Amino acid sequence: MTELTDVAESDLRGIRDLDIDDVLAYVHRDLKRLPDYTELYKRYLRQRWDVYELDFSQDVADWRERMTQEERDAFVGISAGFHHGERQVEVELPVFMLGGSEESKIYMSSQIEDEARHTVFFDRFYREVVGMPGDSVQEVLDASFEHVSETFVGPFGLLAYQADELRKDPEDPAARVRYGTTYFLWIEGVLALSVMKITLTYCRERGFLPGYYTGFTATCRDEARHVQFGMRFLRDSVQEDPRLLLQIHETLRTILAINGAASRRLALESLGWTPEEVRRLMIRQLHMKLTDVGIAIPPDIREMVSRIEPELAGG
Amino acid sequence: MRFFTPEWAEAARAAVDAGPERAGKLPTYWNWIDRARTGYTATWALGVRETGEYLVLRWKDGKCAEAEITSDPSAADYVLAAGADTWRELREGADPGRVVMYRQLRLERGDVLAFFRVIYFFVESLAALSRLRTD
Ligand SMILES: [Fe+2]
Ligand SMILES: [Fe+2]
Repeated sequence: MTELTDVAESDLRGIRDLDIDDVLAYVHRDLKRLPDYTELYKRYLRQRWDVYELDFSQDVADWRERMTQEERDAFVGISAGFHHGERQVEVELPVFMLGGSEESKIYMSSQIEDEARHTVFFDRFYREVVGMPGDSVQEVLDASFEHVSETFVGPFGLLAYQADELRKDPEDPAARVRYGTTYFLWIEGVLALSVMKITLTYCRERGFLPGYYTGFTATCRDEARHVQFGMRFLRDSVQEDPRLLLQIHETLRTILAINGAASRRLALESLGWTPEEVRRLMIRQLHMKLTDVGIAIPPDIREMVSRIEPELAGG
Repeated sequence: MRFFTPEWAEAARAAVDAGPERAGKLPTYWNWIDRARTGYTATWALGVRETGEYLVLRWKDGKCAEAEITSDPSAADYVLAAGADTWRELREGADPGRVVMYRQLRLERGDVLAFFRVIYFFVESLAALSRLRTD
């Protein structure tokens, strides 16, 4: 438990020394209990960090001199997903804040701020370390878009259209649950945590990119609050109206149906990951949320889950 | 050929039916699209917000059977619309996946989950019809 207390209480300097596996354990520790929205908001106030305090000077040297071209390509190929992902979850979240309880709205204000800060984190990394050109946040995003694989484009697009649907009636419980399944369960609970595990394990094992490691590990700790909020929201929604479980299922059917498409190959082997390991990682991330939160899934979805493609980023 | 004329609509039908150039993307990606397309029966209406005109594409059993230009898209399963700027960007080579991800083409009517279940088939169809030469 000591490690997990360290995870909860570290400042940015201390986060640099944390093991990413302890942070991932911290994400899941509270899934069975699921803290309420006010507790998560209080935690946010203690854990927020300053993205402009990060120092990328060693990262620049590692990127240019110590990493191979193959490693750089794989790293950009996978992290570009969340360069765009952080922006997507930032801009599509305000519409969700319009519905729900007052406690939920107060908590949501903190998550919107987190996601904006995460967007700045990637903007700084892509600008200062990778060296992508651009004067504005949008220009840097445009420069990295070609590296974003379908694994991310599909779910982020789905979220954008679900947010538009929610805009018509922000209190519609079924639309909120469908949106929440894509956002909190799949994009945060599976895609984000998988990208974190892959890139941060690489950084830690090789001793590379300390600025990225610190910022994205702090991001992962923020993600613990987001995923716990989301799983609490889904659990409470289904407890209140069991028919909403079908909305989770329909959303998962669409997500899993589009998950297999990848137009390019990306060799994650150079970061130390085989396709089979990536596949197991994603399945485990999804299973942990579903079982800990008690979301039952029918046989056809279980079958789709077991077929999850190894091509997290197309390879 | 002028954009959003009957002649262009027929060329768009033929282009989406043939699909885009397959070079440069993994065969497994096209397999996914072929599976999504097999037996696909639905009608898409793709509009220009400023003029209120829609290109209606009717898919029947995986073939794009009919196309027309209309200002009444009410018979379509999925009604989408974008501004003239977005259509111009697409004709100039903008990535259609990016256009979807940034919701530049809005779904005005239709089931979001069902629409997304074939999303890359839709994206590649949008690519195919955007590449038609127009003046
Ligand atoms: Fe985030
Ligand atoms: Fe998040």
